[in-house]
Amino acid sequence: MDRHIRWLLVTPAVLIVIALTIFPLGFSLWVSFVQYDFTLGPEHPWVGLDNFVENWKDPVWRASLWRTVWFSLSMVAIELVLGMLLALAMLRPFRGRRALMTLFVIPLFISPVVVGGFFDLFVRRPYGIANQLASWVWPGTVTIDFSNDSPWLYIVLIIADVWQWTPFMFIIILAGLAAIPDTLYEAADLDGAKPRQSFLFVTLPLVLPVVLIAVTFRLIDAAKLFDIIFSLTRGGPGTDTYTTSYYLYQQGFEFFHLGQGTAGAWMFMIMLTFVSYWLVRRLLKPLEEAA
Amino acid sequence: MTSVPERSRDAAGATRVVRGGRFRVGGVVRFVFIGVYVAFLLLPLYWMAVTSIKSQDDQLSDPPVWFPSDPTSVNFADALNRFNGWKGLQNSLIIALVTTVLAVALGTTAAYSMARFRTGGKHLAFWFLSQRLMPPIAVIIPIFLLYSRYSEEWFGVTLIDTRIGLILLYTVFALPFTVWMMYAYFRQMPAELEEAALVDGCSRLQALLKIAWPLAAPGIVSAAAFAFIFAWTEFLFAQVLGRSEAVTVPVALAGMITFFQGNLYGQASALTVVSLVPAVLLGILVQRHLVRGLTLGAVQG
Repeated sequence: MDRHIRWLLVTPAVLIVIALTIFPLGFSLWVSFVQYDFTLGPEHPWVGLDNFVENWKDPVWRASLWRTVWFSLSMVAIELVLGMLLALAMLRPFRGRRALMTLFVIPLFISPVVVGGFFDLFVRRPYGIANQLASWVWPGTVTIDFSNDSPWLYIVLIIADVWQWTPFMFIIILAGLAAIPDTLYEAADLDGAKPRQSFLFVTLPLVLPVVLIAVTFRLIDAAKLFDIIFSLTRGGPGTDTYTTSYYLYQQGFEFFHLGQGTAGAWMFMIMLTFVSYWLVRRLLKPLEEAA
Repeated sequence: MTSVPERSRDAAGATRVVRGGRFRVGGVVRFVFIGVYVAFLLLPLYWMAVTSIKSQDDQLSDPPVWFPSDPTSVNFADALNRFNGWKGLQNSLIIALVTTVLAVALGTTAAYSMARFRTGGKHLAFWFLSQRLMPPIAVIIPIFLLYSRYSEEWFGVTLIDTRIGLILLYTVFALPFTVWMMYAYFRQMPAELEEAALVDGCSRLQALLKIAWPLAAPGIVSAAAFAFIFAWTEFLFAQVLGRSEAVTVPVALAGMITFFQGNLYGQASALTVVSLVPAVLLGILVQRHLVRGLTLGAVQG
C-alpha cells in the first residue's frame, strides 16, 4: 500500500479534472467541425471549417475581440495605478488601518454579476444617484443616460470592474512593498538619496516582479469578462458592449448555434493560451522556481 | 517619525513634498486619497443597502431618496419567499459547502503527494495551474451538451439543473487553486514529524491523516475559504446549467435584475445584502492568507 500511495493520492484529483475538462474539450473539437445547431435539426453532418469561417464573417465577433482587448488593457491599467497608489498610501501604519484593510478587500468576495447589478442601480436614470453626484461636481444639471450614451456606458463598465478588482492589485502590491527590507532605504538615505530617488531606484525595481504577477493574473481574468456585462448592459445597446465571452454565450445559449459558438470558443481559447503562455513564461519566474 | 527607516519609508510611501519643514503635503494627500477611495468603495454599497430597505415609491422617486423616511423589510421577505431567494440560498450553501469539502479532500491529498514524493514533478503542478488559464466559455457548450443530452444516455445520471452537476464542475474549477495553495504549504512544512511517525509504525496514510493534515490546518482553512467563495460567487456555469431547480444566489439575483427591468431592485438589493454576509465573514477569515490565495502562492503574503 505504502509503495503506491503517492499515485493513489494524486489519482482522484487528476481523474476528475480530466473527466470534466479534457473530455469536454475533445468533444467540443468534434462539435466545432459539424453542424450542431438546435435551430437546424438533429443531424450533425461534417462541415469542415464552416463554423470557424462563420465567426470571422460576423463583424460583431471581430468587434468583440477588439473590445475585449481594449477593455482588459484599460481596466487593468487603471486598477494597477489605483492599486499602486493605494498600497503606497496604506504602507505605513496609522490608526484605523486594520479596519480599512478589511473594508478594502470586501469587493473581492462579491459575485461580479452582483457588482454589475448594483452599478446598474447606481447609474440608472432617473432613480440612481450617479447623475445627482455628477451635478455636484460638474456645473449645471447633469443628465447622462449611462446605459445608452457612448462613451459613458463603457466608462461605467470599466469603473465597475475597477471597483471590484483594484483591491486585488492593492493587496498584492502592498505585500510586495512590505517585503522590501528597511536596510535598503537606510542605505539609500545614507547615500543622500532624495525621497523621489529612493522611490525610483529602490522601491520600483524591487516591487516590479510582484506587480508583473498581479498584472498577469488580472489580464488573464479580465480577458474572460462576462458577468458584469451580463448584469449591467446585457451587451447593449445593440451589440455595443459585447465582449468575446458574451458573444460566445449569445451564440450558444440565445441563438443555439452551438457549432459556431464552440468553434469561436476554440479560437478564443487558443488566442488566450498564447497570450497567457507568453505572460506566464516571462513574468511568473518565481512560480517556476517554486515548482 | 524620527527614526531613519520610518522617514525613508515615507519617501517610498506618498511622494512626500516637504515645505518649510513643517507642513507635509504628502501626508495630507495620502489621507485625501484614502478618503476618496473609501467613498468610491462605499457609495455603491450604501446605495444597494439603502435600496433594500426602501419602499417601492422611494425606489422610483425622482430626485432619488438618500434615506427612506419609512424603512421597510418587505423587500427581504419578498426576495426570500417569492423570488427564489430561499431556494437560491439553500442551493448556494449546499453546493458551496460540498464543493469545498471535495476540493479540499482531493486537493490536499494530491498536493501532499506532489510535495512529499514529487509525484509528477513540475509537469503535473503546471498542468493543474494551466486549468486556471482556461476560459470557462471554452468548455461551457460541451459541458452543457454533456449534461443535458448525454449524461443520462451514457451514465444514467441526470446532471443538468441539479446540484450534483454544479458541485462536480465547481470542484474541478476549484481544484487547481486548492492544489497549488496546499502544494506551496506542504513544501514549506518540515517533513520530520511525519517521518518520525513512520518510524513509530504509522502507515503513510495514517501519517497524512494524523500528522500532516492537523499541522496544515491553517493552510487548509484558507484554501477551503477560497473554494467556498469561488462556488458562492460563480455565475456563468450556474446560469447555463442550473436554470430552474438548481438556482444559485447569483442566478436568482441576475434574474431579478435583468428580466424585470427595474421592478425588482429592492428585492435584488435585499438578497444581495443577505448573500454578502457569508462572503464578508470568510473574507475577514482569510485576510492573512489573501495574497497567497489570490496569486496561487506566486507571491508570499
